[in-house]
Amino acid sequence: MVEAFAVASGKGGTGKTTTTVALGMALADEYDVTIVDADTGMANLLFHTGLTDADATLHDLLVADGNEDGRDDVTVEDAVYDRFGMRIVPCGTSLDAFEAADPDRLREVVAELAADADVLLLDSPAALGSKSAVLPIVLADRAVVVVQPTIPALSDGLKVQEYAHSYGTDTAGVVFNKVHDPDAAESVAEKAERYFDGPTLATVPDADAARSARRAGEPLLAHAPESAAARAYRTAAADLDVRAGESDDVADRFRSAVVPESP
Amino acid sequence: MNLPRGTLVRSRVVGDPAAALSTALDRELTGYAVFEPQDALLLDADSEGVVTFDDGVPVCAYHTGTGRGGANALADLAVPGPYSVELRELPADDREAVRGESDLRVAPGTAADRLAGDPDLAERTRAAAPSERGRRDETGGESMDAVEAFLDDDEKIDAIRNRAREEARTRAEQWGLDSELE
Repeated sequence: MVEAFAVASGKGGTGKTTTTVALGMALADEYDVTIVDADTGMANLLFHTGLTDADATLHDLLVADGNEDGRDDVTVEDAVYDRFGMRIVPCGTSLDAFEAADPDRLREVVAELAADADVLLLDSPAALGSKSAVLPIVLADRAVVVVQPTIPALSDGLKVQEYAHSYGTDTAGVVFNKVHDPDAAESVAEKAERYFDGPTLATVPDADAARSARRAGEPLLAHAPESAAARAYRTAAADLDVRAGESDDVADRFRSAVVPESP
Repeated sequence: MNLPRGTLVRSRVVGDPAAALSTALDRELTGYAVFEPQDALLLDADSEGVVTFDDGVPVCAYHTGTGRGGANALADLAVPGPYSVELRELPADDREAVRGESDLRVAPGTAADRLAGDPDLAERTRAAAPSERGRRDETGGESMDAVEAFLDDDEKIDAIRNRAREEARTRAEQWGLDSELE
């Protein structure tokens, strides 16, 4: 049984990776969770999870056999790291590897990962301007939209939702992140609910704890589990109604997705 | 608001308002910015948003299409971009002109924070604001008025969503993903 979520926003800097890792850790109490750095052009999941020295990454799986930038001997399992109660698939930061990557291969990787997970979280690119950037949203069952209480972040979040819906990917919920004044943001979240098709999962306060966790290379929930931000993420995870499906069906769907031939 | 024409110091087409706000701050501009959306699909495409600056710090905002001022005007001038932006500088004798009526005023960091979504720029702007400009209210309780006004504008939100939906379909066809569309 697996459900795949794209953790997405139309704007950079909203804290998607922090959100992906935090939701993953919180959901891991109940489910088998795999998180994937699907932001292959600007990977940073490895920095949040202490995997900067990871030998094999998603890039190795996406580079075509025979390409000089690729390694033919890497299997999906080689790029999976068991950390913090989850399975983590980091992506490398090499621009050459990104350029050599064939996004077509992401569906196979995701299909294989889906077989061993209840929940797949795809940390998605902040842009919608390329085929490879949109692919995680195409592949996911639902999207978690990460926004801040600003006009451009909400505008871009709505844009992401429309892209997702165009591909039949529903909205699982909205996370308001890096909120300086949660009380003031409450009314914004209420008004925004009229336009987003999923509930507001959490209003996460802007916190030194998140920055400190990032510097330490640890997930927020491991670094500062009692912080207000960590509590907000646990609430968000509890409110996320994970819908179990049959993993075979999902794997087939990932495989049958029509995907681009080049980044 | 009657603003003298002043001197044109910059005229650009930009993707978002942050660059113009940042330039005004860096130049310590006393004058105003005129934002004209380039997106013809939006209903108020013919109108303009105006933000005035005193030594680079936003003072007033108003919108020629809706006639609204203050935080509401910031919401009115917010579109998914691009904008054509003109920055105009006023001579010292005309400084009073940028200060406008109280119902047009915005807090120093609101445009950077809520319209541009740039917290670093907002912080720099607040730091540059004179203390009597109410820096305090923005570091304690934050004004979300501009964001709420944006979300109250059903028509604009619908336009943004419709535009995104059309763009998604067009690009899906370009990328060979059209068979995945619902």
